[in-house]
Amino acid sequence: MEKKKASSTCDESQGDTAFEELDHTADRALRVYGLDMGQLLINAACGLNSLLAPEFAPGAARCKVGVQLEALDAESLLVEWLSELAYRAESERLVFDEFELQEVSPTRIRAILWGRPAARLERDIKAVTYHNLKIVQTEKGLTATVVLDV
Amino acid sequence: MIGLKDFKQVEPYIYEVATSFRDDMQVPARFYADTILLEGLRNDRSLEQLVNTACLPGAVKYALAMPDIHQGYGFPIGGVLATRLPDGAISPGGVGYDINCGVRLLATHLQLEEVSPWLDDLASAIYAHCPSGVGRGGRIKLKTGELDNVMRLGSGWALKRGFATESDLERTEENGCLAGADPNAVSPRAKQRGQGQVGTLGAGNHFIEIDVVDKILDENVARRIGLTAGRVVIQIHCGSRGLGHQVCSDYVKRFQKTIQRFGFQLPDRELVCAPISSPEGRDYLAAMKAAANYAFANRQVLAHLIRRSFEQALAGKVSNYQIYQVYDIAHNMAKIETHEIDGSQVKLCVHRKGATRAFGPGSKELPAAYRDIGQPVLVPGSMGTTSWVLVGTRASMSRTFGSTCHGAGRTMSRKKAKKSVHGAGLREQLESAGIHVRAGSLSGLAEEAPTAYKDVNRVVEVVHGAGIARKVARLRPLAVIKG
Repeated sequence: MEKKKASSTCDESQGDTAFEELDHTADRALRVYGLDMGQLLINAACGLNSLLAPEFAPGAARCKVGVQLEALDAESLLVEWLSELAYRAESERLVFDEFELQEVSPTRIRAILWGRPAARLERDIKAVTYHNLKIVQTEKGLTATVVLDV
Repeated sequence: MIGLKDFKQVEPYIYEVATSFRDDMQVPARFYADTILLEGLRNDRSLEQLVNTACLPGAVKYALAMPDIHQGYGFPIGGVLATRLPDGAISPGGVGYDINCGVRLLATHLQLEEVSPWLDDLASAIYAHCPSGVGRGGRIKLKTGELDNVMRLGSGWALKRGFATESDLERTEENGCLAGADPNAVSPRAKQRGQGQVGTLGAGNHFIEIDVVDKILDENVARRIGLTAGRVVIQIHCGSRGLGHQVCSDYVKRFQKTIQRFGFQLPDRELVCAPISSPEGRDYLAAMKAAANYAFANRQVLAHLIRRSFEQALAGKVSNYQIYQVYDIAHNMAKIETHEIDGSQVKLCVHRKGATRAFGPGSKELPAAYRDIGQPVLVPGSMGTTSWVLVGTRASMSRTFGSTCHGAGRTMSRKKAKKSVHGAGLREQLESAGIHVRAGSLSGLAEEAPTAYKDVNRVVEVVHGAGIARKVARLRPLAVIKG
């Protein structure tokens, strides 16, 4: 079980590359990197934000939200995590860019998220898919490619 | 990676990957293409995805793909798979997240010359009346418990609320209501997402388009379904919004947990499935039907709002601005249907993901007015290009489980399209071609540029040539409204 108290933001360097967008004919695909599961989840959130491309009204107040998720395995946790963030973006227009991971394991996350309501989002993320999803251990840490339905 | 050596042409326009290609294939994979479309398939992984669908338990005859096939997730877009009841698989990924995404075609009594002076006003009125864009809620406020009625009754709910006519329902697939929908199988989160979105277009590739019938290919059928040359018509393309997306997400998640119990080995977790007769399979089907009914109601409310838009823009200016419905069809759906297999009538679960039902003449499922001519099939082209009205054939019943193409099909990723096409330039280009544009997002417009899609005319030539639908009329765009 990883435990972290310090918060990380999408502006901070997350290693060599946090995420990159790959070509996908119909939808959107992100390749996400992280030294560990916690960083992989944060970088995936930052990748999601890059697709949402929020525009904030000047002075939009920051807020914090607690999130606790459990899943069948690490891939499912990644899907659950991104689905939760996409849901908050659609239903409350909340986009989070700072994350305090209080507890992380391959099947569980407990975190405090800070963000702002967006005045406008570039696109809807309809869903996060399991298509060919596999979290792979590399020499540098973890990587996964996740396809999002837009 | 699948290569040229792995498939062979078995008939004009039909290519096949034999079960010997991979041990886990239950049935061969067949796809419809001409040589140009075939060449385009080298650029993505859609054929690999098609082969994956051929591995689903209980698959019957062939895993099929229409000529607008392109890469999706799990199933390819343009995919059709039938599984045998009671123990064949039902897969939420075989329907997709936008359950009952579909197309509605409305027609007017107006000729282009009468509408031309007012097209800009009409586009503005539709853009104002029909909520569109990312996260945009609707104006229809549902009372407590009313959402359950939307999911149970579909277009029937809209009729009760005064948003539909009897004729609209008669000319909607399944009369706009799938029997057996169960709102209790839909999660609170899905309901919460759907609560405020009835009567909204959304964003992405969804649109409303005003068109003119610019060519008639089958006079008799065109006249029977209410189309004549020069007539102004309207297309609506959208689905079940956040409610449907959440239903699919919920069941893909649930099935990840139960798949081991059924002993199914699948090449991709997005293809996760359950036997149709299992409690999980039955629950998904009931929830999918609820989302499908929501989508029928959604398009119906949009049709109502378009009628109001026409009234606002044209009252006192033209003789008759009334609108009637030609047809409404789904292209993301799983349905229990009876088809002839080896001389016997067999009940199947037919998954169509980015494929349109195209029932031929004589099908009892069709409205009485269309039963002898076959089912109208609505094939929108990419933005700014032609669209087609086809009709289902007897050959589609025997070859493709009564299915055909659903659109042009993408060839270029949204990322590339956005890089290579400038939204403002595209808008200018469309406007200079005489197409009025209302769009909430210029980058969204760029992602949907015509260059990102296959040539819809070629796609239609293939289905017409292969006999799995027949050309009736061609539509040319006059105005496009996007979120």
